Amino acid sequence: MTDQTNVKLRLNNSELWGGLIGLALGAFVVWSGLKLRLGTINDPGSGFVLFYTGLLMCVFAVTIIVAAATEGGPTFGSRWKDARWTKPLLVIASLIAFSFALNPLGFLLSTIPLMLLLLRLIDPVRWSLAIPIALLAPLGVWWVLKRLLLIQLPSGILEIG
Amino acid sequence: MFRRNRLMIAFAAVGMLMSASAGAQEYPTKPITLIVPWPAGGSTDISMRAIAESASKILGQPVTIDNKAGGSGTVGPATMVAAGKPDGYTIAQIPITVFRLPLMQEVSWDPAKDFSYIVHLTGYTFGVTTSAESQFKTWKDVVDFAKANPGKVTYATPGAGTSLHIGMEQIATLAGIKLTQVPFKGGAETNAAVLGQHTMLQADSTGWRPLVDAGKLRLLMVWTSARSPNFPNVPTLKELGYPMVYDSPFGIAGPKGMDPKIVAKLHDAFKKALDDPAVIATLAKFDMVPNYKNTEDYKKFVTEVTNSELKVIETLGLAKKKN
Amino acid sequence: METLLNVGHGFGIALLPINLLYCFIGVFVGTLVGVLPGIGPISAMSLLLPITLSGTPESGIIMMAGIYYGSMYGGSTTSILVNIPGEAASVVTCIDGHQMAKQGRAGPALGISALGSFIAGTFALIALMLVAPSLASVAIAFGPAEYFSLMVLGLVVLTFLTQGSMAKALLMACIGIVLGLIGLDSITAQPRLTFGRLELIDGIGLVPVVMGLFGIAEVLINTEQLIKRDVINAKITQLLPNKADWKASAGPIGRGTILGFFLGILPGGGSVISSFASYALEKRLSKTPERFGNGAIEGVAGPEAANNAAAGGAFIPLMTLGIPPNVVMALLLGAFVVHGVQPGPLMITQNPGLFWGIVASMYIGNVMLLVLNLPLIGMWVQLLKLPYNILFPLIILFTIIGVYCSSNNVFDVYVMIAFGVIGYFMRKIGYEPAPLVLAFVLGPMLENNLRKSLILSQGDLWTFVERPISAVCLAIAVVLLVGPLLPSFRKKRELVALEEGA
Repeated sequence: MTDQTNVKLRLNNSELWGGLIGLALGAFVVWSGLKLRLGTINDPGSGFVLFYTGLLMCVFAVTIIVAAATEGGPTFGSRWKDARWTKPLLVIASLIAFSFALNPLGFLLSTIPLMLLLLRLIDPVRWSLAIPIALLAPLGVWWVLKRLLLIQLPSGILEIG
Repeated sequence: MFRRNRLMIAFAAVGMLMSASAGAQEYPTKPITLIVPWPAGGSTDISMRAIAESASKILGQPVTIDNKAGGSGTVGPATMVAAGKPDGYTIAQIPITVFRLPLMQEVSWDPAKDFSYIVHLTGYTFGVTTSAESQFKTWKDVVDFAKANPGKVTYATPGAGTSLHIGMEQIATLAGIKLTQVPFKGGAETNAAVLGQHTMLQADSTGWRPLVDAGKLRLLMVWTSARSPNFPNVPTLKELGYPMVYDSPFGIAGPKGMDPKIVAKLHDAFKKALDDPAVIATLAKFDMVPNYKNTEDYKKFVTEVTNSELKVIETLGLAKKKN
Repeated sequence: METLLNVGHGFGIALLPINLLYCFIGVFVGTLVGVLPGIGPISAMSLLLPITLSGTPESGIIMMAGIYYGSMYGGSTTSILVNIPGEAASVVTCIDGHQMAKQGRAGPALGISALGSFIAGTFALIALMLVAPSLASVAIAFGPAEYFSLMVLGLVVLTFLTQGSMAKALLMACIGIVLGLIGLDSITAQPRLTFGRLELIDGIGLVPVVMGLFGIAEVLINTEQLIKRDVINAKITQLLPNKADWKASAGPIGRGTILGFFLGILPGGGSVISSFASYALEKRLSKTPERFGNGAIEGVAGPEAANNAAAGGAFIPLMTLGIPPNVVMALLLGAFVVHGVQPGPLMITQNPGLFWGIVASMYIGNVMLLVLNLPLIGMWVQLLKLPYNILFPLIILFTIIGVYCSSNNVFDVYVMIAFGVIGYFMRKIGYEPAPLVLAFVLGPMLENNLRKSLILSQGDLWTFVERPISAVCLAIAVVLLVGPLLPSFRKKRELVALEEGA
């Protein structure tokens, strides 16, 4: 990590990487378009628009890369400077864990722990407040949806909820 | 791992027994979604809404319409097969393209295996219209113009491979002309296309009727076996010298593996709905006649249709290339 | 004169106590479902349709219409308060509306959007009464070629939504188009980019994408910084727009109303395009475009007016041609038919009482909505006083529920979480989500109409230039694209860029 906030052809130039990812995506879309067949100009096929959109993506991505290489761009370090990067990471981790739990455990058994986790992770709420909120918010919503709007939330294999 | 699994299986089995027995008795306990694979506002959509409305009174739960248009009316059923659980809460209208498209190209569904057919309901009255401002006064004008300008006559259909597309191609072959098909997603869109004269003709089911009544569109022909009582001056295909009748009968189905008890319950409800005067009145508005077939007959009908369609498609040279 | 008589007759019907009651129920339910993200007017209307069957057609349709325009009022609330757009049309309200909320100006933002909606709604109704039959031709003047060019214009407009680099915005737009095309091809029913996943056959839903890119990503961005968050808790000084706010908003509301009304007539994405177009227009006309994106009240007033005027315009093709321009209108069409009335060119002459009664009831409904919504603003603003560490988990909970309810599908929750994470990293390296969302909505229509127009013209690309409406759309698009390269434009964009760097 350097102190520089604006670098050119360096591996930590965030602009350069954004462009490269765009280029890779564009190439993939072009390839998918070709595979789906372009058809003719009289009767364009399923891949026609994908192919040309992919080409445009490549053009824009190359523009971004060229700009990043010649004018430089901010480093990853500067983008995350002064940021408590652990916090979003923890929230992302809890959301991923939640998405694995949602189907087998059902709505209530997965959202109550998620709420508790989030309430304690972001900036700890004291337990005496966190526990009632984590319990009451999902329960309340679940009741309103199920009883008043007749919307069934996932109940999981234990059929709770 | 194993021990926990066994416990889970025990739990799941008990749960399933309970829910299965409860399910058949109480079904339906929540709103049922009926997928209509055409855009809202066409003849299928409106007639299915009337039928659903009547069926929901009988079932005691709302039957809500979900319009999933596209792919000549196959996107809806294909989506249902792909994602829907066979619990009877997601069913779909099955247009004839569900059987025909697999004969023409690679598709993601198999009409013989992927559906639990429930009940056969009715069929369409098709017709060809043109804008009231158009130069075409009769079908003969169209044929004459097309002979002089091959491929210049454009017609809007509710999708490639629909009966309208196949029918128009058969007519063109018999008349020795070349027409250009423009596939839309359904009646509401083809109405707008022909009204705005973006296409010269429209080939679609009776969604055009209010516009024909109002004198905005001119009906050139109908595809029924006899003249329609609502349009006694409009010739049929047979009268114009094309020995064909198209009505594209349709019914409803769910994903494969539905509980026969649930199928029976839905069958009974929709059969009763066909007798509802309100439904008959709505169908009559679109020149549609109830064409009831029970679950067994519907299944047989699917095989018959598939075989007869294959012949037509092969003669037109539209069949899927065999590998 | 005849129109006045008809209007009087219409009010006679709309003011019947039973119709007033149905109208109130409609707008009340509409406000509720509008505020809850994910639960749109469609599900509420389908559930309530059977209830309307017992009454007269007038009262049933008055209630259904009330749900529709009522939900348009509520749609902006969550956009402004917590940066979660309830529907595609309010994505653009997030940009400046949420910034205003962060500066403690949630009250004026909510107020101007309610009052702007009222003004636009009223104007659209008057226009509907006076010129509905003669505007029917606008709806059908747009064929495939015209739609394609309009979509191109819509996509170009979105480059004005971003403050950073044009290349990045265009790249995002392309990604949006590609995401919009996932699923079965609308013409050949071939699966595209589904990677063998059955859930993708139907394509990706708009609600999970929007909730992820806006709602979840916003929470993630906010958790990492201590300083920014305190602004939310800043003193809330005023609840309603003040004189300066009104002065700034009058023009945008007027222009937004006209723009929205005409785009709303078009079947297809009229209301979405109108809100984006209004935002872009105001930014272009503004003497201080750098304020846009940082809490400019014009950026809330214009799009909100446009999107409500579009809701009024949308009734024209339905009532005069029987062609519903969107799914909600189609539900209304279903309601008409179930009641034995066939909308079409003959409806106004055959059922004048029904037509004028509904239009008059919409006028009354708009007044009810204003009375209902203004006191709610105070309550919504109180919500922002919740400490962030309690507010954020609740936002996440509500996005999860909203996404699940919109489709009853767990897969959509995964999609939302994925887009939340993607959105976080995108924003960290300076890519903005608004162009992606607009392109996501417009992409499938763009593709479908391009293919149809090429079939119609037999591969002749000149068709887009030869047809006058199409040519005008493309010409405006070119001016907008080339404009920034000219020196006078360049200055403005640079100012904006500087602002972002600061």
